[in-house]
Amino acid sequence: MRVAALSTQQPRHWWLAVGWLTLVCLAALLAPGASSPPDFAQLSQPPFLNARHWLGTNAQGLDVGQALLQGARTVVVVSVPATLLTFLLGAVMGSLAGFLQNTRWQASPQLLLSILLPLVSSVIIGPRWLVAQLLLLPCLAMLLWLGGRQVFRGWRGVPVPVDTLVMGMISLLDSLPLLVLVLIAAAVQRPSLSGLLLLLSLTCWTTPARLMRAATLRVKALPYAEAAEAAGLPATQIIRRHIWPNTWQVLLTRFPLTVAMLIGFETTLSFLGVGLPPEVPSWGRLLAGIRQSPTDWWLLAWPGLALLLTILSLQLLARRK
Amino acid sequence: MIRRALRQGLRGILLTWLTLSTLFLATRAATDKATLIQGTLEGNARVSGLPEQLALTQQLLHRYNLDRPLFYLAWQPAAGWQWHGSHNQYHQWLLQLAQGSLGYSYQEDAPVMHLLGRALRYTLPLTLLAAGFSLLLAVHLALWVSCRPTARSLVLAVLHALQSIPLFLLAVCLLLLLANPDVVAWFPAFGLGDAETEINWLQQPGYLLYHLTLPVLSLVLVSLPALTIQLDGALQQELSQKYIVTARAKGASRSRAVRQHALRNALLPSITLLTELLPSLVAGSVVVEVLFALPGMGRLLAEAAATQDYPVLVGAAGLTALVRLLAQALADMLYQMADPRIRLSQ
Repeated sequence: MRVAALSTQQPRHWWLAVGWLTLVCLAALLAPGASSPPDFAQLSQPPFLNARHWLGTNAQGLDVGQALLQGARTVVVVSVPATLLTFLLGAVMGSLAGFLQNTRWQASPQLLLSILLPLVSSVIIGPRWLVAQLLLLPCLAMLLWLGGRQVFRGWRGVPVPVDTLVMGMISLLDSLPLLVLVLIAAAVQRPSLSGLLLLLSLTCWTTPARLMRAATLRVKALPYAEAAEAAGLPATQIIRRHIWPNTWQVLLTRFPLTVAMLIGFETTLSFLGVGLPPEVPSWGRLLAGIRQSPTDWWLLAWPGLALLLTILSLQLLARRK
Repeated sequence: MIRRALRQGLRGILLTWLTLSTLFLATRAATDKATLIQGTLEGNARVSGLPEQLALTQQLLHRYNLDRPLFYLAWQPAAGWQWHGSHNQYHQWLLQLAQGSLGYSYQEDAPVMHLLGRALRYTLPLTLLAAGFSLLLAVHLALWVSCRPTARSLVLAVLHALQSIPLFLLAVCLLLLLANPDVVAWFPAFGLGDAETEINWLQQPGYLLYHLTLPVLSLVLVSLPALTIQLDGALQQELSQKYIVTARAKGASRSRAVRQHALRNALLPSITLLTELLPSLVAGSVVVEVLFALPGMGRLLAEAAATQDYPVLVGAAGLTALVRLLAQALADMLYQMADPRIRLSQ
């Protein structure tokens, strides 16, 4: 019933968008794992003329069709997990900042002590005896926490300015454009596939965090949330059971847009030659081949079209929801 | 007002200092002294003999400010943590920064400031032209569209489609369409900066503009949709207000109601986008300058990243952060000008 209702509600181009995205996901699933060796007998072959390479080959003799399929896998493997990680980080940071503000969380002295003392001692010891440190310092933290519960009974907690900390981190990350930040990071340490994932999620979480903070602030002021707080429920439970169900939709509408943004960003990086390592196939790298051989229009047409359709479809999804 | 501006400025300076310090420490910690010196020595064929080489190594380390420990407190494998006082790279770098120097480039035989200045001669016209044109076009397009409801949906659809094209794809398409001897070669594909010695100063602006047309066009096309869509949304909201009905009832034409009454109110929410526009143009100039081979700051950044020329990287990043600060100050000022009712002081 609901599926039928859905199919009559959505306009035709919505279905086209979904169809194209399904196609990309299918290509990502079915793409051959190892790329076949370059065909040196047929360099820069135009499409449709060659029986074996019907989408043409590039100047290195790589089959464009196969590179497209494998690039689709890279697109899916990079953008979707990176978006999920970004949203997870942003949601946690944003809702904590919005809910705890600057005074709500009063860290007990034993907690502060059991975090700070092992940290400080680890810094003082420095990078020596790593195994012993890894074993002993957590034990020290546990002991301090358990012992501190008796010693510090009745002490007031110290308010932790969570909001200020999170907003400070956001403005620090936002003080440079994303591309410049990633360029510098890639210069220091050339990222692998997982490294790029981590780098993207560590730099892109600011927008979802801001959205979640605003949504949390709005929901927190509603009577039912105040009632939950007055009933004395713990903060984690209020956030998880009562705040999140009303805030996470904010991120849902952003999801396709963020995926599209990350796809565009990843291909830009690969195009500039600073993104993924050279052995990982990517649409951006395929497109970069046009700079060496400007007459090979098929190097621009196929990956460019695929990229464009993917981003357009994602934006359409975001608008229709 | 002044207190707010002061606080904003201090906050911005603190943020920039934190960002730059983090970048400096991270990149310096990643610098491999041995390979760097080796590379420079190999590039210098005149050096012969060990004593001379040692002396030159010392000289180079001093020039790059690498001949001392990294930070006030530094880890030494033998002795543990050591306090070095002000005799460290970070302190030296901060002192130099206060004097307006950003150090010496690892790759090119020049101070970073000099390189940045040379690059800005191209990037400044590029970004400013792109920003000016996209603002102007966005305002005019939004005004034009709001007076013609039939054309509006079509223009908006085109803008939405345009928004989904990544900058590099758009720039490549423009390059292959308009600077290609096989299609139409109206514009040059590359070559700014080489022939400049041969033309006189009267021809120079024209020459620069000729070479900047395609890069500016691609930047404008990428930043135009967001601005126009935002402004159009704001205009539509304002046009449904009662003061517009009053204005129309008093006999103002639709275009007069839009231009004289609605525009100023609609501009207000769009000013926020200005803070994003300039930094995003700087980021966009990385792509455009690499593609069109302009010797500007974006290409300097990309090349410095590729060759791990860290002083240049940190310098260019600092300049970008500064641009963002300026954009923020500008947006604050424009808020006041657009709507005197707003008092930003808290």
